[in-house]
Amino acid sequence: MLLRDTIQTAHRAIVAHRMRSLLTMLGIIIGVGSVVLMVSVGRSFERYILDQVESFSNNLIELYPTGYEKFGRTLDSVTYGDYEAITGLTTVKSVAPVIFITEKVQYGTEELSPNIFGTTSNFFANYGLKLGEGRLLSEADEKAARSVTVLGYEAAEDLFGQRSPLGERVQIGSRSYTVVGVMQSVGSALMQDLDTFVFVPFTTARSATGQKELSYMTMQAVEDDELALADVTLLLRQRHGIDNPENDYDKDDFRARSAEQATKIVGQVTLGLTVFIALIAGVSLLVGGIGIMNIMLVSVAERTREIGLRKAVGARGHDILLQFLIEAVTLTLVGGSIGIIGGMTLGMILAAAASKYIGYVPFVLSFPALLAAVLMALGTGLLFGIVPAKKAASLSPMEAIRWDK
Amino acid sequence: MAKQNPPLIETVDLCKSYFNDGMETPVLFDIDLTIREGEFISIMGPSGSGKSTLMHILGFLDTPTSGSYLFRGQKTRVLHDDELARIRATRVSFVFQAFNLLPRTTVLDNVILPLLYHPTIPASERTERGMKAIEQVGLTERATYFTNQLSGGQQQRTAIARSLVTEPDVIFADEPTGNLDSASGIQVMEVLQNLHSKQGRTIVLVTHEKTTAEYAERVIHILDGRIATDTRDFKRNHAKNVKHLK
Repeated sequence: MLLRDTIQTAHRAIVAHRMRSLLTMLGIIIGVGSVVLMVSVGRSFERYILDQVESFSNNLIELYPTGYEKFGRTLDSVTYGDYEAITGLTTVKSVAPVIFITEKVQYGTEELSPNIFGTTSNFFANYGLKLGEGRLLSEADEKAARSVTVLGYEAAEDLFGQRSPLGERVQIGSRSYTVVGVMQSVGSALMQDLDTFVFVPFTTARSATGQKELSYMTMQAVEDDELALADVTLLLRQRHGIDNPENDYDKDDFRARSAEQATKIVGQVTLGLTVFIALIAGVSLLVGGIGIMNIMLVSVAERTREIGLRKAVGARGHDILLQFLIEAVTLTLVGGSIGIIGGMTLGMILAAAASKYIGYVPFVLSFPALLAAVLMALGTGLLFGIVPAKKAASLSPMEAIRWDK
Repeated sequence: MAKQNPPLIETVDLCKSYFNDGMETPVLFDIDLTIREGEFISIMGPSGSGKSTLMHILGFLDTPTSGSYLFRGQKTRVLHDDELARIRATRVSFVFQAFNLLPRTTVLDNVILPLLYHPTIPASERTERGMKAIEQVGLTERATYFTNQLSGGQQQRTAIARSLVTEPDVIFADEPTGNLDSASGIQVMEVLQNLHSKQGRTIVLVTHEKTTAEYAERVIHILDGRIATDTRDFKRNHAKNVKHLK
């Protein structure tokens, strides 16, 4: 029998039993569809997070005194001298020292308790923050330790509502500051905090708090993140007299991190999650495959007479085997295709819906995942089609014809 | 006239038993039978006599337990499954009591079904051959009908057309009128008789109805798995011939 005839025969059997074929495919549609959906949601979400991180952290490096995160208090290991020394490195640029002011901000009856950053204009560049109106902190502000402030978008809105805050005076602790600028909104759910921040010149913060050490420091790598990190780490160990050739971070009294490292971790976590969820979805594909086998077995029993007739008119076992196998594979491939299209469509809809709430979420299609889905569907068809097909092929023509007698 | 033709089917001491749970149930005993090309034979017998089993063996649907079966002079017991399938595709064909047509399929597609499995007839000739076979049973106008739109007699004529399409050496008809009213039955038998008388086709008819059996030139009675009577007594001569050959 020609392959074309076998395919046509299988195709006719599928069309002749539309309802049964559809039900058979349903398991595969759901199985493949959920794998594709889960993977694309995972990849889209990962892309979203990476975009967010990358948008503000172009070659960003942050340097903390160690324990800062653990104990929630400012440690004193990173000094202004460290800052000056790091400025001298050729592998980093745009170094910004930071001292936090823990005070309330007041304007009239409005009162906020934001994060107040005493820093330099480099800070804005490092996080990709853009000015909305007015001006940023200047070198003149810095030199003269002026009492001026730049407000985050949300902080300005909370204090002033619709009015322009430029030129107004706000009270921070015991001092009064003139508002010289307001930042643009960062427009991203992940980094929304940045909108609530309040900025004053570094020197002003130092004199206001009396703090000599730095809360933390930010900078950008000139080219290579790894190289810059190594340089900064080596310099600080040298300055702090720490002998740590084995690179054991617990021995250091500071920690330098690049945003790239953070992105890598995000990538790994989301990949792990994606694989995990896809595996769960894969179980439904397995169930779908068993469904196919089940219905194919019923189909073989139902068509015993047809099989017997085909054998009586000259079909070989091999012809029958191929016919049923092609039937199973066709069902899984068609079901798989519908599943892929369905999963993708649902993924796109979800990405579009999410974009409304948390900022633009790109829809990411993973081609290896699509290929894997197609191969899985094909494999399911072959794996679960072979048993019924073999059963059909081994039917004796005479038994099959006498079946109804 | 048929006597002069070479033998198409020869069986010697052919036996068939079925085995169920180690229990042997013999069905056919020492069948010696010769059918020559161009003969129209009826095999008669009550149900359970073994006549259908004999037809299944002669038609390569089943294999004998012992004895020999020569088809066109060739021993058949050494054939593999695929070779048996090839003989079914090219040399023999069947008409069944229950028609065994494919549902939701047209008359033409049913008739050309055996051609899908034919090793030498090219795909391009299928429709032409199919229509020719349909013409021979007088169903040309119904060629595009679905088989479930046909009467019982028309369905059986479709099955006969299907049995003609490969131009086989012999057509086996198993109770072809069993599911039909008498008028349709007569129509079907006339079609078969015409195929024999006008085209010289070899036909082996299995039936338990005397009126149906009488369409044939030669009637063999099977009783309890043995040939009881043969209207043309070949048996003795045949046995001698076989001894000579050996």
